[in-house]
Amino acid sequence: MGIEPETTPQQTTDPLPETGSNEFHPVTRVALLGRDYRGINFELLCKEGDQVKAGSPLMRDARRPQILFTAPTSGKLSKIERGKRRKLVSLQVDLDSSQDSHRFELAGTQDKASLRALMLESGLWSALRTRPFGNIPDPDGEPAAIFVTAMESEILAPAPLPVINSFAAEFRAATNALAEISEATVYVCHASSSSPPVDAAEKLLPVPFAEGHSSGLPGVHINALCPIGFGGREVWHIGYQDVISLGHLLLHGTAWMERVISIDGPAVQNPRTLRVTPGASIIQLLESDSFQGPVQILSGSALRGQVAMGSEAYLGARHHQITVLPETGDHSKSSRQATAGVLIPTDELESLAPPGIYPVPFMRALQVGDVDRARDLGALELVEEDMAMLSFACVSKSDYGLLLRNVLNQLEGAG
Amino acid sequence: MRGWHIGETSQRLHSSNNQQRIHRLLLLSLLPVSIVALFNVGYQYISGLANTLERGSDDLAGRVVQALGASHQDPGFYDYLIAGLAHMGPILIVALITGAAWERLIAERRQRPFEPGFIVIALLFTLLLPGAAPLSHVIFGMSFAILVGKGIFGGEGKTFLSPALLAIAIVQISFPAVTSQNPLWQGLSGYTGSDAIALYHRGGEAALAAVDINLWSALIGSTPGPIGTTSVLAVLLGAAILLFTRIIAWRLLLAQIIGLVVTATLFNLLTADSGAGAMPAYWHILLGSFAFGAIYLACDPVASSCTNPGRWIQGFLIGALVVLIRVANPTHPDAVIPVILLASILAPLIDHAVITINIRRRARRHV
Repeated sequence: MGIEPETTPQQTTDPLPETGSNEFHPVTRVALLGRDYRGINFELLCKEGDQVKAGSPLMRDARRPQILFTAPTSGKLSKIERGKRRKLVSLQVDLDSSQDSHRFELAGTQDKASLRALMLESGLWSALRTRPFGNIPDPDGEPAAIFVTAMESEILAPAPLPVINSFAAEFRAATNALAEISEATVYVCHASSSSPPVDAAEKLLPVPFAEGHSSGLPGVHINALCPIGFGGREVWHIGYQDVISLGHLLLHGTAWMERVISIDGPAVQNPRTLRVTPGASIIQLLESDSFQGPVQILSGSALRGQVAMGSEAYLGARHHQITVLPETGDHSKSSRQATAGVLIPTDELESLAPPGIYPVPFMRALQVGDVDRARDLGALELVEEDMAMLSFACVSKSDYGLLLRNVLNQLEGAG
Repeated sequence: MRGWHIGETSQRLHSSNNQQRIHRLLLLSLLPVSIVALFNVGYQYISGLANTLERGSDDLAGRVVQALGASHQDPGFYDYLIAGLAHMGPILIVALITGAAWERLIAERRQRPFEPGFIVIALLFTLLLPGAAPLSHVIFGMSFAILVGKGIFGGEGKTFLSPALLAIAIVQISFPAVTSQNPLWQGLSGYTGSDAIALYHRGGEAALAAVDINLWSALIGSTPGPIGTTSVLAVLLGAAILLFTRIIAWRLLLAQIIGLVVTATLFNLLTADSGAGAMPAYWHILLGSFAFGAIYLACDPVASSCTNPGRWIQGFLIGALVVLIRVANPTHPDAVIPVILLASILAPLIDHAVITINIRRRARRHV
């Protein structure tokens, strides 16, 4: 399946008629956030004040230097913020009007090596995640399967299918390319009520999933199609907007400088879906909103989102929504700890558990930090997001996502 | 549990679910049971007065009833209420005071917050006792529940057995032959409240009808027995609350009923005579304390099996063993308390087996 690069790439900032209802909201500042790339030791490739083009490299992984992190837009690198132990907090870019995009060479990008090289060079490799552990995969890694998440499990997030359909050619090209980057099968996991534009083939399978509160999580799809954790293999997964971005790169030679997001939540008076620049400043996106009383602004959903404050008030790399909640002020000191109270194994927990996991024994193993037990009970199949519903419902107010990461770190270290 | 700081939590939202809410819902679900229990104790006492003695008993409760003017002559709402309060009130109050005193001591000695869970335990224990239970037995059982059932395991949520179950079991074991000294409580001999089942074993439905026990009276609970376990209807109402709020596991409850019905039906088919084996499943559910025990003791979320397959196994075991012991061992006509105790002790073993199978399956299936 050849991918024909378009010879006359169109301006990426042209209004796209297919997403006409979604207004483009311009911002003047964007950022890459360190917290979106857990465990990466960044090595900077530029310094404050440099001019950058969309798609030009800003940083790379110090351990695996082929993995690049690129500018989402053109402008001036205005600020590099570092936190504790000089860990990167955010890397901020002030937009200029040049709309300059780095052009990638597309000739001959049909085979595995050249496709991987293109993904690495363009920074799109960093959109892939492994399971177990949820890392960026090794550039020469071989997955047992690749999962494209073409459905949404978060409430108030934009529906994926209209977005995918308005970029059908890009989505098609990217899924075909993903089938080429490894020997593994690509599963395009979508809601059973819809079917995404995919050229189904032996190595490229659309798989419908019933809709439900957590059924859009990659962990659910992985458990159903290619369970991992005991055989030492890994699978990769990628979100649908990153797939569109890859398709845009393959068809037009430039990075897709947009993301479709929703701004919603109980405190938002004007819920809306927007097209924005990746990593857009949330303060600027919300500047026209007025809130009554104190609010809490999250990048991501109410359940799994991250607080957008200070130098981290930017749209997260894999977030499709901004949620604004009324500040209730009950984040007492006890809720800042990993375990607070005692687990009462009510029946409610059973229906909120990830598939194949016995919630109560697993949560108990996490609470006491029993790494071997947690591994036996399925810890390697999961990442933080899979535990959010259990953390929400459990009377102990524990953060099982954090406890799980503690266990995963130890398993990864033991390796 | 002591919090250990391994990083900043990202979990922003927690449901309003907490231990206090679970306690409140348990108490709410016990409200209909308690109200029916209050009036039934009064009703049983007043009926006993009418049937056996002209004057009331000369223990404290009896004197209180007399002093307040409640009698069996044309008895009504007031008479039943007074008689019920005079018998159930002291038991509940003594159980509450005993529980609170021990909790207070534990909280002080071990520098833990005072846990209000003893209220539910005291109420459950009271409802499982006969109306004429001596207060010394109440203090003994309640002390055992708080200290051995709860305190030594580290408090709420860490118990191994339901404390109320442990309390009634230890009282039953320690004082097996206790019958009230009071001849008014003929129908309530001993702690198991199993006379109706023993009656059925001897004479079938005719024997029950002779003492005014029919399907209807067994359902609403106007029969002799422990204070709170006679009314299957009130217990079902409480179960609905606990099932709707998903505090107890419906699988565990359903499995108990399936186990009971299957085993009872098997005995019905295998035994031709009218003896113990011929008792149909619905009488097994209506008589004795099966309904109450199945919901409030066996389904204790902390002390029961914590995996879904384990819940099916444990539930079926309880239902089947209750019928088996009732039929095969006439000295234990009720059998509910010992069976649930046994099944609760087995729960960790059942879970262990279920989890081992789960781990093997995961190892086989995964790439």
